[in-house]
Amino acid sequence: MRPPSQGKQILGSLLVALAIAAVAVAVVTAHFGPTSHAELEVQEERVEMREEAREERREAAEERRGD
Amino acid sequence: MEDAIESLTRGNVAEVKVVLASVIVALAVYQLVLAAVSYGKLRPRFLESGPATWAHRASGDTILVLAVLVALACIGFYGFEEGGAHAVFGCLVLAVLAAKVLAVRLGGSSSRLLPWIGAALFVLFTATWLTSAGDFLGVG
Repeated sequence: MRPPSQGKQILGSLLVALAIAAVAVAVVTAHFGPTSHAELEVQEERVEMREEAREERREAAEERRGD
Repeated sequence: MEDAIESLTRGNVAEVKVVLASVIVALAVYQLVLAAVSYGKLRPRFLESGPATWAHRASGDTILVLAVLVALACIGFYGFEEGGAHAVFGCLVLAVLAAKVLAVRLGGSSSRLLPWIGAALFVLFTATWLTSAGDFLGVG
């Protein structure tokens, strides 16, 4: 079997390098989990909303008890 | 400088540095394979020495740019104060990178020093990664 042309070999080698870089980025990013500021802000907002809802429920329960 | 780096990375300086450094180390492993094919130590049917050399250079140029970017972010944002072994390895990486570029320019690709400089560079890249990104990822 004849090897592919030199151009194809170079292109293939560069594509392999690109794939290696992409896999490295994906693996390391997955290892971090949500660490970007945007994602952390969304998480914080969710926690705050949950706390507010809990507070409102507690206040409503206290009002009911007061009545 | 610090503000510029922080705004460029959107506050994720360490994370961006770790990702780029990991890409460098992954490509450095691939560089070893390409160099082995280039020097005829490995002879796969689908890749000849010439194209392997070409890809080795292109990938090496990419690594050089990434390494300079990581070094700039590292020195510009963190400085040298608490660098320890990482700072020493990082400076050695830049010195050996410069030596490799010089060896290629002056001695050409047939320079006998190149394989040794390349191997030293690989070891130093790995050591630099292990003392920073590796620690960060819980590997080092």
